[in-house]
Amino acid sequence: MSFSLNEIEATSKRAARGAGYTWGHAEEAGKATRWLCAQGLDGVAALASLLQQDLSRSPEMHVPCISGEGWAGTDVLCPLAAGSALSDSALVLEAAPVTLTNVTTPTLLLPFVSNVARILNKSVAITIDGAEAQTDGIALHLTGPMPDQAQSVTVRLEQVAPPTQRQHSRATPDPAAWSALTGFAHRTYAPATEESRLRGAGAGLSDND
Amino acid sequence: MNESGQHIARRDPAQVMRLSRLGSLHQCRLSFMRQLTRRMAREEWTFTRPAFDIDANGVGHAVYTAQGPDHAYSLVAFAHDLPPEKRSDRVIAEAWDATFTLFDGVPTAQDIERLSQNVPLQEAGRVSEHELSLSRANRSVRLWAHVVDRLAGGQQPDLDQIYDVGYLMRTTAVYGSGKFGAADREKTAGRPEFNAPFQTEMLSVYLTRTFVRDLVQHMARVKGGKNTADLDADIARWLGIGNSTGLGMAPFIVNHPILFNNWIMVREEAISRVRSLPSASDAEIAQFLNIFDRSTLSMSWWRSEHPVQIRKLAALTSDIQAISKHLDGDVLTQDAPWDRLITWAEDALSEEGQELLASLMLEPYGDLVDGLASCMADSNLNAQIIDGAMPVSEVRELILSNFEWALELDWTAEPNCARAWYVSEEKLEPRLGERFEEPIAEYEQPLAPARDAALAYKELADWDGETPIRDFLLQHPEHRHNIRRVQIGRVAPYGEIRDNTISADVMPIDMLRAKLSFFGATHFDPRSDRWVRICMYAGAPYPEELSDDTADTWVYPEPAA
Repeated sequence: MSFSLNEIEATSKRAARGAGYTWGHAEEAGKATRWLCAQGLDGVAALASLLQQDLSRSPEMHVPCISGEGWAGTDVLCPLAAGSALSDSALVLEAAPVTLTNVTTPTLLLPFVSNVARILNKSVAITIDGAEAQTDGIALHLTGPMPDQAQSVTVRLEQVAPPTQRQHSRATPDPAAWSALTGFAHRTYAPATEESRLRGAGAGLSDND
Repeated sequence: MNESGQHIARRDPAQVMRLSRLGSLHQCRLSFMRQLTRRMAREEWTFTRPAFDIDANGVGHAVYTAQGPDHAYSLVAFAHDLPPEKRSDRVIAEAWDATFTLFDGVPTAQDIERLSQNVPLQEAGRVSEHELSLSRANRSVRLWAHVVDRLAGGQQPDLDQIYDVGYLMRTTAVYGSGKFGAADREKTAGRPEFNAPFQTEMLSVYLTRTFVRDLVQHMARVKGGKNTADLDADIARWLGIGNSTGLGMAPFIVNHPILFNNWIMVREEAISRVRSLPSASDAEIAQFLNIFDRSTLSMSWWRSEHPVQIRKLAALTSDIQAISKHLDGDVLTQDAPWDRLITWAEDALSEEGQELLASLMLEPYGDLVDGLASCMADSNLNAQIIDGAMPVSEVRELILSNFEWALELDWTAEPNCARAWYVSEEKLEPRLGERFEEPIAEYEQPLAPARDAALAYKELADWDGETPIRDFLLQHPEHRHNIRRVQIGRVAPYGEIRDNTISADVMPIDMLRAKLSFFGATHFDPRSDRWVRICMYAGAPYPEELSDDTADTWVYPEPAA
């Protein structure tokens, strides 16, 4: 099925929240998934795969220590936490490249790298094991196989801007992945009660007048 | 600048962004409906009705096409025969008198066939990237029957009854921006006609009004045959389109702080420019007085059964008397007349009267203020990205500038957090519940920015001021959305409501009215503290009457000759 990018963003945000992420990370998940879909990548499948790993049970294990140029966590890094940290560290990246070790679902790092490019108004390159990508914040040029889990990820400024790419205005995600996201999103909805119907939504008045 | 060389600054957000004032806003010449009608007249849009295929039971479809300079847009309308017991103005209804979509271009027969299987289902159907909006409407039963019966009997409907209700149909939702599969705003935002906010929705409602007029005439003719009267154009013009709006709009203005800021800031800038004028010409004064008189007529038709609105209307009525008396003096012929008027109003009038006057004061000055309309959309793509290098001390300052009032509040006291916003499983619609009486707290949506900013401020207390905020965010991801919002405050000084959106006495209708006033809605009629009916386009020219002469001040009725 074809979805609008607004639908992708809204459902992805709710799904990440439903999977236990904070509102701030859920917002990032929504924007990241939308950005990937606009590039023609299946961001929905990437997010579904991440949420199914249930990292939010112990989030502190999957956050990078960002004091040096090599970032690692106690356990595998969550791309929403590590990506947010990358986006927040744009000025650090301007000074020197950053290398992250052991990141799951690294596709989800790409939108955060695009944030860095937008903040610095420069092109940024990212190496994810055997995959290479460049972005200027809008376009993405991706080559090589994207691993499900990356041993080593390096982010650095790039002199050359990526070639212009067609932006997609719709997404047709993998149905099973979409269904997984709507399942996570469903956890954020309060079960309906008669009280909420009458009280929560407003009047119980008829419109037959 | 006025004569004493004084530029009058925009009003302080601390004054403007209180809920009671936002809940007293009135339409003005920057309103989205008026932007649209002015543009369509200026650009000489043409309108056609390629299909009106409705049977004697009122069932079928119709197509209305609006042709602008570069693009055509078509309202595809489906008319249904709805049993009375199914007529509900709740968003959770499942059937309506009529359903609509705004099609980007001119639909083919295949498009109509596809839409006929989806649009009548509304949320349960799917539309595509060719559709820009999805909406539905129900009849106002009493006015509909009156108009059909009168016309069928060869007579014109009673104008007083039309003034009393204001519309033949009211919409219960007008969805745009990618909802239910429709095109994202990004598809059309680059077209000049749709750059300003909500122009697709406003166009959809404008064409809907024409369809409803045609439908009532059709149904009268079915009933009355050849003796049926043609609805008089001067009467038809006072038929607007109603809208029944619930809680969905309240989260919208909290979730779009830059967009909401742009609306408020543009109106405040317009007010500031007019207040700064050193004098008013005789023609400007005459125009203002004419508009004021006409607006009092519109106000006299405004009815509500809600106790809060009844009180506000009583205050507005005495405000209007006070304004009339004040205008009899020499206030407008003195120097800095508009600044004097607004300053006087701040002591003499209720917030309803103050905001009415501020809106009306802009009317003679289209040349000075209409250009601001181009600043009302949100095109700031980078504002959502957090600046992780910002020192903690600067974040604290930003919190103080928007939320200082909230830091003193005891957010654990029950009256200060009695409510919680949540999304219901049933229809995925936003609702407001009682935190201490219903099992909803764990489903709470982040719609209390003031409380959340206060919590972040408290958490930041032990952090060194020099530390970049990224270090704090790494340890406290639960404050990430708060810090993002606080930083957005740098570009959105009017983006935050300066009141508690979860207090025991919050009135969500104030948030609804703030948004609807920018649409250009009139005659706000709250049905409860979280539910309001309004009127749109009453007085507006129909497509065949649209011209530069009729396109702008139609919202102010001319007294009957």
